[in-house]
Amino acid sequence: MVMAEQLIDGRVIEACQQGDRDAFQLLFETYKDKVFSIAVYSSDGDRALADDITQQIFLKLFTAIRQFRGDSEFTTWLYRLVVNACLDERRRRRRLLPWGEMVAMKKAGERKPQEKHYARLEISEAVQAAIAELKPKFRLPILLKYIEGLSYDEIASVMGCSKGTVASRLNRGHSQLAKRLSHLNNPEVWGD
Amino acid sequence: MIRMFLRHVTKDISAYCHGELSSDESKQFAEHLIACGKCRTKFEEVKLGIKLAEQLPRLSAPDRLWSELEPLLEQRTTKAVRPAGFWTWQSKVAAAAVLLLVASLGAFWIYKNRPSNGVQKPSWLVKRVDGVTRIGKEQISNNGRLAIGDWLETDRGSRAQIDVATIGNVDIEENSRVRLLQTRADEHRLELVRGKMSARIWAPPRLFFVDTPSAVAADYGCAYTLEVKDDGGSLLHVTAGWVQMESKDRESMVPAGASCETRPGVGPGTAYFDDASPDFRAALTKVDFEHDPAVRSAALTSVLDQARPRDTLTLWYLFRGSEGKDRERLYDKLATFVPPPPGVTREGLLQSDEKMMSQWAALLEPPWTGSGGEKTSRKLKEMAPK
Repeated sequence: MVMAEQLIDGRVIEACQQGDRDAFQLLFETYKDKVFSIAVYSSDGDRALADDITQQIFLKLFTAIRQFRGDSEFTTWLYRLVVNACLDERRRRRRLLPWGEMVAMKKAGERKPQEKHYARLEISEAVQAAIAELKPKFRLPILLKYIEGLSYDEIASVMGCSKGTVASRLNRGHSQLAKRLSHLNNPEVWGD
Repeated sequence: MIRMFLRHVTKDISAYCHGELSSDESKQFAEHLIACGKCRTKFEEVKLGIKLAEQLPRLSAPDRLWSELEPLLEQRTTKAVRPAGFWTWQSKVAAAAVLLLVASLGAFWIYKNRPSNGVQKPSWLVKRVDGVTRIGKEQISNNGRLAIGDWLETDRGSRAQIDVATIGNVDIEENSRVRLLQTRADEHRLELVRGKMSARIWAPPRLFFVDTPSAVAADYGCAYTLEVKDDGGSLLHVTAGWVQMESKDRESMVPAGASCETRPGVGPGTAYFDDASPDFRAALTKVDFEHDPAVRSAALTSVLDQARPRDTLTLWYLFRGSEGKDRERLYDKLATFVPPPPGVTREGLLQSDEKMMSQWAALLEPPWTGSGGEKTSRKLKEMAPK
């Protein structure tokens, strides 16, 4: 994937800005999994919704890329667009979905882990459910760190905040994850 | 330094674990952590959060996404003005070739990393920092994986960072050669045969080991640098916590602020604080590695003459391994700095009475670790001769 990202150079971006579909497909293939992952984790694991969000993001990117002036890294600019789209979608859903249904959706994703012996996949599912319950300001830095592999400086640039704020939000996000999933703090659970 | 020591470091825990602090900040962070129970508790919590977050998988977008997107793009394309001539048919062929190349590289990567006999080989993430880093014969671009048995090499001017599973990370300096020997829940082991590395480990004691040609470094929850010289000897410098250097016949406990030299065929020498005088260190080298008893005895005199209260660290470990007249001389010097507590006798200590050794050690150790005495005391009791 790193090699694929290196293929997205100024020439490809310039071609995309001219509306070239082949160049845009290259861009799409390079970033689709990353964008889709953030969309899934930002939509409480609803993959159908994540499909829509991903599609909307690339549709928007197709026209918005003309506004990219190269003042920042392209990836930073792209992730900013992704983060904003996910936040917009969440706000829209809050307006449309009554509070009770939001809670019900989350409850449906909850498990009673202490009754089970966790396999890695189950740990991963528990983490995904816990991530979905974090506030966006704590969740998004975690996604940008662990899904996209960005540095604190890059996350700060995407989120429009200071590096110190990123550090603080990641710290609080990690703490909340640990508290919610404290029952997983057991070597047997990890199969160690 | 004092400010950092007094200030709690809970806000910096994630940044420390992700290597986002400078080396000075990391050092101060680790030193504070050793001394502060409150921050250690929070550290464990954030560490668990990091371990959990690392389980988040990257998901794959459905294949049909592009075919669904294409008609929508088509609508927009017709509105867009495309300048002629920029994206020529040659460029399209090139783009198609690039896509094919990406797919081929992906297939090759999957082939190369396919599980053998259905079992995925454990590996650690390697990040290239500067210059050229090789795993085996292959040069890595930015990231790579170091599997069990793989060698990692840096050349002049190059550096790399290795994630030690989920328990820490290691910086590999230039002109270094390391190999991953083992990684499993109860043991993570590297071999350093040349060059220098810095380790930061946040795990229970004795989970992370580094084999060198002359000794093994066993981590006790700490940060340290380890350098292997051309003759196979090594130099350990600890910046936080404790490290034990061990060989077949010798072992040496090294706290933060102290160093330890090792020699091939002999093993580790005695730990000494870095602020000890050059003469003290030169004499200690003779005590540790000289074969001639007369030279060793004269060197011990020099060590005793120049020892400061803080050097009871060195004297204590020399005392533990000595016998006869040398043992008596070491006892007498140690006792001038820290007299044994009531009920602990000279005779008992000279005869290595386990209980008395532990009681005296508990009094000796505070100057070695500042306020981090509890952990040290426990360790010293473990180390007392049986």
